[in-house]
Amino acid sequence: MNARLVVSGVSKCFGPTTILDRVDLSVGAGEVMALTGENGAGKSTLLRICAGVLACDAGVVRADTPIGYCPQEAGLFELLTAEEHLVMFGCGAGLSRRDALSRGYGILAEFGYPLHERVVVRDLSGGTRQKLNLALALLPNPAVLLLDEPYQGFDHGTYVNFWDHCQTWRQQGIAVVVVTHMLAELDRVDRVVELPAHPSRAHGRGRS
Amino acid sequence: MRLIRRVVLIAEMHGRDLIRRRAALGLLIALPLSFYLASARGDRRAPVTGGIGMAFAVSGAALFSIMSARDVDQRLVLAGYRPVELLLGRLGFLGPLALALAGAFTALMAIMSSPARIGIVGLGLAAVSLQAVPFGLAIGAAVPRELEGVLIVIGVIGVQLASRTATAVSKALPFYGPQRVIEAGLEHNGALLWPTMHTLGYGVVLLIAARVFIAPRVYVRKPSPPEQPADL
Repeated sequence: MNARLVVSGVSKCFGPTTILDRVDLSVGAGEVMALTGENGAGKSTLLRICAGVLACDAGVVRADTPIGYCPQEAGLFELLTAEEHLVMFGCGAGLSRRDALSRGYGILAEFGYPLHERVVVRDLSGGTRQKLNLALALLPNPAVLLLDEPYQGFDHGTYVNFWDHCQTWRQQGIAVVVVTHMLAELDRVDRVVELPAHPSRAHGRGRS
Repeated sequence: MRLIRRVVLIAEMHGRDLIRRRAALGLLIALPLSFYLASARGDRRAPVTGGIGMAFAVSGAALFSIMSARDVDQRLVLAGYRPVELLLGRLGFLGPLALALAGAFTALMAIMSSPARIGIVGLGLAAVSLQAVPFGLAIGAAVPRELEGVLIVIGVIGVQLASRTATAVSKALPFYGPQRVIEAGLEHNGALLWPTMHTLGYGVVLLIAARVFIAPRVYVRKPSPPEQPADL
């Protein structure tokens, strides 16, 4: 299986606290990997480093592009609609307005987004906002998909639907990393990697 | 062509965002208006005070436009935008908006203050508007949080408001040039070249500063393709 994401010796400290210590990781094309670990183990930090939005102190991340990154906290414009987000993010990925909307609407429909409600993000429920967050990560047709607990706020149907989609992404050859605490769903992924908390934290040094 | 399309799109989206902030839009007009009207009767320097009010309003709008979108900006860079496109997009919306505001205030001042050279006063107000946008963007890109940004804007423009003479401190501030242009419009004579050059030079420096400061905040590391896989 061709590796689409390779993390080699990645370390990250915040002040005196070591969050990640020489982490190695590889995710192949069409592989869905769950990243688990206790709170503060550095799962989100590792994902941010993989996405390139946070620099690591040591190590290298190699990845195929484009990368789709769905952060835990959806970074969205509160007073823009879903449609406007799709156009804006789609244009960044090189899509025309029409293509961005066509593709974006398709993704949103798959996750049961209420397309008839043309409201601004501020007026969306947490789950609906998260659907948009996920759609923006999928918009550029990513080779690597990094999902940081993407189902937060989803209703049960959408939650099940999300895990069903992992199978679709697998078939499309996308390398998927899902940060999750949902141990019941771990049979839906190809591999589970538990990120251990660094000893410096277990011994009470640094942040809790 | 691609750059222009993307910059126009960013400008359009910021426009849509700001238009939906009706209260903020109202304050953008009300703030300089109250500055001006508070001194319009009996003070012949009222256009200068109104111009300072415009500097507060437009700088504030630019500051919040960049600070409230920090997380989204980095995501947009990850999506494929360049930091300079995000800056130019904001400039592309806020600049014309500020110029429209300057036009409206010039008309108001022509009626209420009857300055000697209204065209020059209008030029000065336009200079305030165009200076305030890169000023707000530069501060917004440089400081870590909104409070620091607001305090710097209040501090710099407040000192500008307080210093009426051409002191060294006054000359070092960004709105010195526009202020002198407005003052020149209140008289039948007064230098224009130096204040205009001061405005243009300062504006360029502020834009470069904004570009330099925003880069590390929205930086996205582009990975190279994988070579050899490794396992945890």
